Amino acid sequence: MIALILKRVLLAIPVLLVVASLTFVLVRIVPGGPFDADKNLPPEIIANLNAKYHLDKPVPEQYFLYLGRLAQGDLGVSYKYVNRTVNDILSDAFPVSLQLGTISLTLAVMIGVPLGAIAAVCRGRREDVIAMFLSTLGISVPGFVIGATLIFVFAIELRVLPVGLWESPWHVVLPAVTLAFSPAAYLARLTRASVLEIVEKDWVRTARSKGLSQWSTVTKHILRNSLIPVVTVLGPLTAIVITGSFVVEYIYAIPGMGRFFITAVMNRDYDLILGTTLVFAVLLIVANTFVDVAYQILDPRMRLED
Amino acid sequence: MTKSSDAKSDDRYLIWRLAKGLGQCLLALLLLVSILSLTACTKARSRFEPGVLRVNLGTEPPGLDWHTATDSTSFDVVSNLMVGLTQYTNDLTCAPSCAKSWEVLDDGKRYLFHLRDDLRWTDGKPVTAYDFEYAWKRLLNPATAAQYAFFLYDVVNARDYNTGKLKNADLLGIKAIDPHTFEVRLSKPAAYFIYLTAFCVSFPMRKDVVERFGDRWTEPENFVTNGPFRLTRWQHEYKMELSANPQYFDGPPKVKLVKMFMVPEASTAFALYENDELDFIDNRSFSTPDVERFRSSPEYKNFPLLRANYLAFNVSKKPFTDPLVRKAVAMAIDRSVFPRILRRGERPATSWIPPALPGYSPDSGLKFDPVEARALLAKAGYPGGKGFPKAELLYPNRDDVRLTVEATQDELKRNLGIEIELVNQEWKVYLATVRKDAPPMFRNSWGADYPDPETFMNLFTKDCGNNDTKWWSPKYDQLIQAAEGELDAKKRADLYRQADVMLCREAVPIVPTFLATQNIMVKPWVKGIAINPLDLQFFKAVEVGGQ
Repeated sequence: MIALILKRVLLAIPVLLVVASLTFVLVRIVPGGPFDADKNLPPEIIANLNAKYHLDKPVPEQYFLYLGRLAQGDLGVSYKYVNRTVNDILSDAFPVSLQLGTISLTLAVMIGVPLGAIAAVCRGRREDVIAMFLSTLGISVPGFVIGATLIFVFAIELRVLPVGLWESPWHVVLPAVTLAFSPAAYLARLTRASVLEIVEKDWVRTARSKGLSQWSTVTKHILRNSLIPVVTVLGPLTAIVITGSFVVEYIYAIPGMGRFFITAVMNRDYDLILGTTLVFAVLLIVANTFVDVAYQILDPRMRLED
Repeated sequence: MTKSSDAKSDDRYLIWRLAKGLGQCLLALLLLVSILSLTACTKARSRFEPGVLRVNLGTEPPGLDWHTATDSTSFDVVSNLMVGLTQYTNDLTCAPSCAKSWEVLDDGKRYLFHLRDDLRWTDGKPVTAYDFEYAWKRLLNPATAAQYAFFLYDVVNARDYNTGKLKNADLLGIKAIDPHTFEVRLSKPAAYFIYLTAFCVSFPMRKDVVERFGDRWTEPENFVTNGPFRLTRWQHEYKMELSANPQYFDGPPKVKLVKMFMVPEASTAFALYENDELDFIDNRSFSTPDVERFRSSPEYKNFPLLRANYLAFNVSKKPFTDPLVRKAVAMAIDRSVFPRILRRGERPATSWIPPALPGYSPDSGLKFDPVEARALLAKAGYPGGKGFPKAELLYPNRDDVRLTVEATQDELKRNLGIEIELVNQEWKVYLATVRKDAPPMFRNSWGADYPDPETFMNLFTKDCGNNDTKWWSPKYDQLIQAAEGELDAKKRADLYRQADVMLCREAVPIVPTFLATQNIMVKPWVKGIAINPLDLQFFKAVEVGGQ
C-alpha cells in the first residue's frame, strides 16, 4: 500500500505539470487580457503594469518564469486584487471551503448511502418510491432554490438559524445542508443501482442459501461490494465539494474559494486561474489516491493486481 | 409461507437498523454542532451587541489607498478611517477638522491652513503639514496613476506635473511652511476649492508607511490613519472591522466596533437585516419589492442624493449628429415614469444641475412635449419616425437600470415611433466600451464629489476624461472656466445656469432623467445614522444599544 501511495505521489508531478501547462496556454488563448475591462488607462500605464507582471515578455519566457516560481511554491500575484498574492488569497479562502465541504460531504455520505440501500432492499415498495422521489428532488432542484427555501424556513420564519455569513458553528448548518443535497441525492441513486446489481450475483444467492440472515447478507456481502462505484465517484466528488461552490458561497455570503473559479476567469486574473486549477488538481489526485487505498480494503482482489 | 414472512421481517429489521443508524448519525452531528456553538448560541439570542454596528458594504473595496480608489465602497470605508483639513457636516458645509482655521489670500489664489496641534496618527506620531504635502504631491505624481489627480489641477503647475510636462515636484504650489502651517497656491481663484479639502483624495498620508510597505500599506497590520476609527481586521472578500480610535482628536466615536460585511447578494443582505444580523442597510441591500414591503415601516427612511442619471448620445454617430434629433428624444421622454417604476422617491430631472445647488433653474432643460418632439423629428427628416435607423442604447447590467432603459425604449417608441435596441454589458465591459467607442446612446449616472455645480458641469468640458459624448464647445468650456474663477456667488450661479441651458436645451448631448435617492433601514436600537446628499456615511456619531 505504501508503494502505491509513493507511486501516486511521483506520478502527480508530471500530471500537475501538464495541468499547469495546459491552463497556462488556455488562459492566454482566451481573448482579452487582465487590464482590458478595467479603467481607461493610458498606454504608458498599461505598459508599466505589463512590465510589472512580466506580461510584456514573450509567452515561452513567461511560461518558464511561471514554472520557476511554481517550483518554489509561489503561485504568483493577483492582477485584480492589487495588493495580494494568489497564495494569500487561497490560504484565506481554502480553509473555509474545506471546513464547509468536509461537513457537507460527511452529511451526503451518511444520508445518501443508507437511503440508497434502503431503496434497493425495498425495491418497488413505498420506501423505494419515497427515497427515489427525494433523490430526484435533490438532483433536479438547483442549489439557489434549496438555499433560499432553507433560509426562508429556518432563518426568517422559525428564526432558529442565521441567514448567512461565517461567524459561528451555527452559520455552517444551512450552507452545509444546501451543499450536501445534490451529492447525497447522487450517492443515493448510485448506491441503489449498485446494490440492485449485486443482489443478482451468484455469490449472494450462495450466501443466502447458506442460511445467512438478511442483515449479514446485506452488510457483509452486498453493501461492501456495491460500495465500489460509490467510492469511485467519491474521489472527484470530494475535490468538487471541498473546493467550494460559487452559488452556495454567494447566497450565504461565505468567504470560500468557490467564487474564484468563476471570477478569476471573468477578470482574466491569469495567476489566480492557474492557482485555483492547481489546487483543484492536487485535491483530485489526493482524493483519488485515497480511493485506490479504499479499493484495496473493500476488495481483496485489487491487492493482487497491484 | 414461513420463509417468506421471515424474509419480510428480516427486511423490516434491516430497514430499521439502517434508519436507526442514519438517525443516530444525524443526532450525533446535531449534538456536535450544538456543543460547539454553545457560546455562539447565547450570543445569538440577543438581537444586537451594544456598541457594535453591523453594516453591509456589498463588495470588497478595490483598495483603501485613497489616491487610487475611485469607487464609493472604498470611500465609505476611508471616510470613517481618515479626516482631512476640513470635514463635511451633514448639511454639506465645510467645518474645520485637521485645520482649525484657514486664510484665503491673494484674491482667492492662496490658502493658508493652520493645523491643530493635538492631531495624532494611530501609531502615536503627530499629524503634520508635511504629511499633507507628501500626500498631495503623491496624488499628482504620474507614477501613482491616480484617476482623481485632476481634482487638484487648480493648484499651481499641478496639471503640467501630473501629465509629465513638468518633472520637478518642488514647483507645485503645495508647501508645508512648518509642521502646523500648510500653504496651497492656486493658478486661478476656484470658489469650490475648500470643498476639495474635505474629500478623500486630499487626506494626509504617511510617507514612511507608504514607502516601507509598498502595495501592502493599507493592510490592517501596516495601516496608519488619523480618523475616528482604525482598521483592525480585514478578511478579504468577507468582512472589515473598524475599531474606535481612542486617540482621535475629537474624542472616540460612540460605537466601539463597526463590522462591515461584504454581502454581494441583495436578498441575502436583506434577510440578514430581517433576522437581526445587520443593524443598518442601504440601497446595496435593497431590491424594489423589498422597498414595497417595508415602505410603511418606521425603520425605513429615504434620502435625496446628489446623484443624477442621464441618457447620453455619442454625437459623432448618426442620427444623433443632428441636434434636432437629440432634442426630439429629450422632449419625448416623460420623466415621471421613472419614480413610478423604481418607486424609491426618485425625482424627475430635466436640467443637469440638481435643485439643491446654485445655478439650478426649473426652466434650463427641455420639458416633456411629445407634439413638439414629433415636429422636431419630422424637421430632422424622420416624420413619424420613418427611416430612423435602429439605434443601440447601451446600459450596465443591473436590474434597476434595466427597468429605466426599458421605460425609455417604450417612451421613444410610443411618442416618436422610433425603435431602440437595448444592449447590456457587465459593468467593467460597459465602462471600457463607453470610453473606447461609445454606441449612439448609453445610460450613465454621476454622483457629486462635492456639493458644488462644478462637479456636474465640469463633466462635459473638452478635457474631462469622463466626457464620453464626443461633444464639446469652446463656448461651454469658457462659461465653465469663468464660473470656476468667479468669486461672486450670484454671478457664478448665473454662469452655471447659462452653461446648463446650453447643455440641456440647446446642444443636448445628454438628457438628464432623474435624481437618485438613498433608501435605508435602521434597527430601532441604532441612533444617529444620517445620510448626506453626497452619500457619504459617517459612523462616528452613531450609537448602538441603550434603551
